[in-house]
Amino acid sequence: MGEVIVITSGKGGVGKSTTTASLGVGLAMRGKKVALIDTDTGLRNLDILLGLERRIVYTLVDVAQKRVNYGQALVRHKKYSNLFLLPTSQVADKTAIEPEQMKQLVDTMRNEFDFILIDCPAGIEQGFQTAVIGADWAVVVTIPEVSAVRDADKIIGRLQAVNKDIKLIVNRIDPQMVKAGTMLDMTSIDDILSLPCIGQIPDDREVINASNQGIPIIEWSNTAAGRAYNDVVGRICGEDIPFKPFETEGFFARLKHVFGH
Amino acid sequence: MGDEVFKLKGNQTGLQLVFAPGIAFETLRNEIQKRLESGSQFFKRGTVIQLVPDQLSKENEESLRKLFHQYGVLFRVEPIEDVSKARRPIPKQKAPETNIPAAQAAAKESPAEPKPAEEHRMMVINRTVRSGQEIQTQGSVLICGNVNPGAEIIAGGSIDIRGTCRGIVHAGAYGDRNSFIIADCLMPVQIRIADLIAQAPDSIEKPAYAEKASVKNNQIIIEPIER
Ligand SMILES: Nc1ncnc2c1ncn2[C@@H]1O[C@H](COP(=O)(O)OP(=O)(O)OP(=O)(O)O)[C@@H](O)[C@H]1O
Ligand SMILES: [Mg+2]
Repeated sequence: MGEVIVITSGKGGVGKSTTTASLGVGLAMRGKKVALIDTDTGLRNLDILLGLERRIVYTLVDVAQKRVNYGQALVRHKKYSNLFLLPTSQVADKTAIEPEQMKQLVDTMRNEFDFILIDCPAGIEQGFQTAVIGADWAVVVTIPEVSAVRDADKIIGRLQAVNKDIKLIVNRIDPQMVKAGTMLDMTSIDDILSLPCIGQIPDDREVINASNQGIPIIEWSNTAAGRAYNDVVGRICGEDIPFKPFETEGFFARLKHVFGH
Repeated sequence: MGDEVFKLKGNQTGLQLVFAPGIAFETLRNEIQKRLESGSQFFKRGTVIQLVPDQLSKENEESLRKLFHQYGVLFRVEPIEDVSKARRPIPKQKAPETNIPAAQAAAKESPAEPKPAEEHRMMVINRTVRSGQEIQTQGSVLICGNVNPGAEIIAGGSIDIRGTCRGIVHAGAYGDRNSFIIADCLMPVQIRIADLIAQAPDSIEKPAYAEKASVKNNQIIIEPIER
């Protein structure tokens, strides 16, 4: 039976889709059979991040409304043959899929896949309910910004109310800002959210560069963000990968090296 | 304002009715009626509900006043006073206009006062209260967890937080100035006890000791305690 993980955040634009795409590729690189489900109906973009836009025939809406089987809607990744995308519709809106339909779908699909990652839309409306209902546990993505942490906290409250296990990924950490004390550091984030953290992803302009080419950043294994995502995948697979603590010499030394300072 | 049509916010002298501007009066009135009928704890007899003037027409204000009156709730249209900025210990506050805080005065007029047993009941919350969550109780409350920014605790009695408090806490919400607030780490944006409000300074350092906020000489003071 596969594991179903929803990637959520509360605040928009913090890196849910970027994270979903990279974790999907990372798990596939480790030989897992993976399905990614885009639930951001009307604002889909996971397909673009994976370079699969042109291959879409059917969508999640067709599947949920039982017009086709999920197998007919799945799009296979060009490079990783055990990675699939279940795209959503660009024209329908979030009311097109009922949470209950989503739960049924996910429960059927988990017989076939090792991992199902669900990319959640921003916000706390029906789209959120739909994305979350079938998941075993949730990844909450946030960035080191007071408002994003506040929204993450709200989402965490909602997820805990429905008894989901939650793990945290802090994205777009700018080591120089942390060093200068102008950015929330991990300790202050942990102080408020108090969740187990499985990822600390640096802010890295290569992410945008890769996305524009339809390549999840994890494929660029020599980038700072790519490496950080690779560590996250390891942790999801149960490996004990230590964090490079942000405030210590070690981390900055490493980043300086990465950035070639 | 989330999923609700209206919200009640605790302030110096009662609860303030707030709603999105432009909302249809019918909807507002219906929602309030629903809440009143649901017997929601917060509409205890004698509660004062305030509304900032000029938000509704006079007829509509009167209509709400009648509605609340049916349930023994006092509805007043009056300006809400400014919150006084406070430091630690919190220096200056507005003393209430009268000797008796309005909430208490209101309770006196009301024939049906709550049973003491109900007021002294202790609610226990065994988790962290997160942004957007609100805990309301007529009695006292013990929170084994943190109160995060954006969370609100409103208690008729006292509040004890076994954790860090960064949200809004209101003890003695019906006017009891003997209520107090204790936290392992007390750093809320705002503390309210009965009719008094203290606002945190812009930057607070994390206190190293458990602290207690209580009312002395008409002002909220904060002192370290042992536990
Ligand atoms: N670590 C990073 N470094 C630099 N840029 C990043 C990083 N992570 C994400 N971004 C950029 O931030 C933007 C938003 O990312 P993304 O679309 O993944 O967020 P989202 O949470 O899915 O947004 P939405 O809420 O709209 O669905 C994109 O332009 C992406 O390239
Ligand atoms: Mg997205």
